Amino acid sequence: MSRPGFVLEVDDRTPPLLVHEGLGFRMEDFPLGTRVVYPPESLPTVPDVDEAIREALLNPTDSDPLPALLKAGMKLTIAFDDVSLTLPTMRAPDVRQRIIEQVLTMAAAAGVDDVELISANAFHRRLTTTELEHIVGERVFRSFYGQGLLTNHDAEDHDNLAFMGKTEKDEHVVMNKRAAESDLLVYVNITLVPMEGGHKSVGVGLSAYNSLRHHHNNDTMVHSTSFMDPPNSELHASAWRMGRLIGEHVKVFQIETSVDNNVFPKPYDFFMKREWEWSVRDQASMLAVRRGLSVAPQRLRHKIFHDLRAPYGITGVNAGAVEPVHEKTIAKVYEQQAVEVQGQSDVLVMGVPYLGPYNVNSSMNPVLATCMGLGYYFNSYRGAPVVRRGGAVILYHPLDEGFNQLHHPSYVDFYEEVLAETTDPAVIGQKYEQQFADDPWYIHLYRTSNAYHGVHPFYMWYWAAHAMDHVDDVIWVGGNRRAAARMGFRAASTLLDALEMASDTVGPSPSITYLHNPPHLIADVTP
Amino acid sequence: MSGRGNRSPLIRGGVADVKQAARGFRWGRRSQVPRSAEPFVPEATSTVFRSDWSRRKPAIVAREAVQKAGLEPLFRSQVRTSVRGLDVFDGLKGPVIFAANHASHLDTPLVLLSLPDAWRRRTAVAAAADYFFDTWWRAVGSSVLFNTFPIDRRGGAMAQTPGEVLDEGWSLLIFPEGTRSPDGWMHNFRMGAAMLAHTHGVPVVPIAHQGTFAAMPRGRNWPAPGRRLLTIRFGAPISPRRDETVREFAARVKDAIAALLDEETSTWWESQRRVASGSTPDPEGPQVAQWRRLWDQTEPLADEPEDRVFAWSRRK
Repeated sequence: MSRPGFVLEVDDRTPPLLVHEGLGFRMEDFPLGTRVVYPPESLPTVPDVDEAIREALLNPTDSDPLPALLKAGMKLTIAFDDVSLTLPTMRAPDVRQRIIEQVLTMAAAAGVDDVELISANAFHRRLTTTELEHIVGERVFRSFYGQGLLTNHDAEDHDNLAFMGKTEKDEHVVMNKRAAESDLLVYVNITLVPMEGGHKSVGVGLSAYNSLRHHHNNDTMVHSTSFMDPPNSELHASAWRMGRLIGEHVKVFQIETSVDNNVFPKPYDFFMKREWEWSVRDQASMLAVRRGLSVAPQRLRHKIFHDLRAPYGITGVNAGAVEPVHEKTIAKVYEQQAVEVQGQSDVLVMGVPYLGPYNVNSSMNPVLATCMGLGYYFNSYRGAPVVRRGGAVILYHPLDEGFNQLHHPSYVDFYEEVLAETTDPAVIGQKYEQQFADDPWYIHLYRTSNAYHGVHPFYMWYWAAHAMDHVDDVIWVGGNRRAAARMGFRAASTLLDALEMASDTVGPSPSITYLHNPPHLIADVTP
Repeated sequence: MSGRGNRSPLIRGGVADVKQAARGFRWGRRSQVPRSAEPFVPEATSTVFRSDWSRRKPAIVAREAVQKAGLEPLFRSQVRTSVRGLDVFDGLKGPVIFAANHASHLDTPLVLLSLPDAWRRRTAVAAAADYFFDTWWRAVGSSVLFNTFPIDRRGGAMAQTPGEVLDEGWSLLIFPEGTRSPDGWMHNFRMGAAMLAHTHGVPVVPIAHQGTFAAMPRGRNWPAPGRRLLTIRFGAPISPRRDETVREFAARVKDAIAALLDEETSTWWESQRRVASGSTPDPEGPQVAQWRRLWDQTEPLADEPEDRVFAWSRRK
């Protein structure tokens, strides 16, 4: 029986609490009275994943069974979520591999010859062969990659993009031509957080700039309150309009999965436990890991963390029509992650871990750390933000990992040139976005190397736009002062220093809430 | 490497981490759950370690050595004791049930080390399964040192029941309150000791002691400095009457302890007169503000005048 999430109130019995900060963590003594939001424990997982997949494919929701949709001579495309899911990378075999293998087995039995697999990476970097193989498995990789039938989606290959029309809000809908012209598009998804899945899978993952610009912008993100709550998210409203338009032209068979909260493997599983329940072994592990990390060079710490493989369990597999499938999936995700929180606080504290969706096998540069803290974590709410309007956010991250020149070349220019001019997401969007989106060098690197698209850092900044609009102060504990200042924030050495600095905004005795994640949680806030 | 200032960041940071962990995770003390997390603590698993081995010859020999060479010198280096009523053991044959008030972890060594050696060697101590038998090292430690056996405060079944220990000829030390008093005063008695006496036909020897709460209350893991005085008084054994219910007998055991406590502050004769008139002071203490109850119980016991002579007493 898994225990629900809950809100701890720090008292004299509370041990120091774990806070992630990049390639490390610290044990923090929070002020008495601080509220700490703990995620629920892992839900029971499906007893037999392969059987659950088979059941979902044979008895889909609002759709004929998959075998009935597969015919000899048809054009079948299988698209799947890219390396940004799961976080950390799932321990092999990846659930996408298990699903794709069953889909292909059924396709082979039906005599389907024309099959292609596409990684739905939109403006994310192209996946390496190792990453592709990890997701689809050796058998699928060997059968399709060498023949050019397992590819990354190329959002700048205009010859292979299809214009699908305009939504009722005049939004252009463009998508991968192969997928658009297929008799059946099977999409294989992992919904790690409520933002993902649904019409966002095809509508965003296989689209291009002319579509993305309609919802990946400052205005949409400020009005997505939050983007983890699709009914109240402008981002999702736009993606749903586009997805429905696509659905009028393309038969989409959506397969969605949800996972439990089993994020960290041993001996790092103490990250997921409630500190007062730590065994002697957990405490010893904590001390050993902290000491080890303190003497390890940056490269080794990076390797230690990025080599972690998550032992996620599968809590649900649903297949069929996009919207009813997603309803089931999202319900399971909320069941796993939602925690009731009464009232907002003056200060929100969050520890930014080593990993986000955009630095898998890469560096968490300051822009991505901001996106993780003020974007993903800040938006992990329903109802109202955990922090009141005009409050302060305190984040933990050293902001010292620098930029990965292979993966994030445009981030360097964004950081050095754009943020040096202004940090206002609205101004940045108006003044600089088009220039980065059209830059031929960035496009070249995106298409031929392993670089995120030139415009991607803008999206990361928009991701944080709602938080920047909502709070008056952002302070990074342990953060590089120059990096924090470049982004328009401040840095402090300790939590007490940060609270002292924030007292100008929230007074000397603010109410404080700390979100104890990962594992991921969604705060259901009653204002 | 020499001097504190030259220590490497590894050692300096390690020391700071260990200090923080030792303080925050209460090393050497029982861990605590934050109050707001208590509703979310999972049901304790019923892992209870066996203790029947501790009543076999090798353990008995080891315990004798540990108690006489380790426990007793240490105990007497920290507290002084005044033992009364040892005459009750004249002509008494075991097994019996020792029933005592409970205010501190000092109570068990106080009672055991106050018993005549022959009785001490044949006495087992009932200890809460969820507290003393939840880890192997705690179970082994308490069994070797005090000859404890587990009882389930929640009424569950144990590997060896107290009745079986009694049937093997061991006297039992039971604290009928079931837990240490939060304020030093006596609290409600549970029926266990009376029930055992009733069903096994053994007498109960009431024991009243004072001073352990002042010396080492809940929350302390070592006696307060100053070699405080602890008093202990054994009462005459009482047996269940033929027509007496367990509940009535439990009340009589409690009254006997109350009379012994009264005797501690007066004389045997005065306490007996108050028993006869039904005016024995309530051992649960006055219903006044909590701080006054605590204040009263934390006052160190005064030494008795040297010229006062007690029969059957022992001072150490």
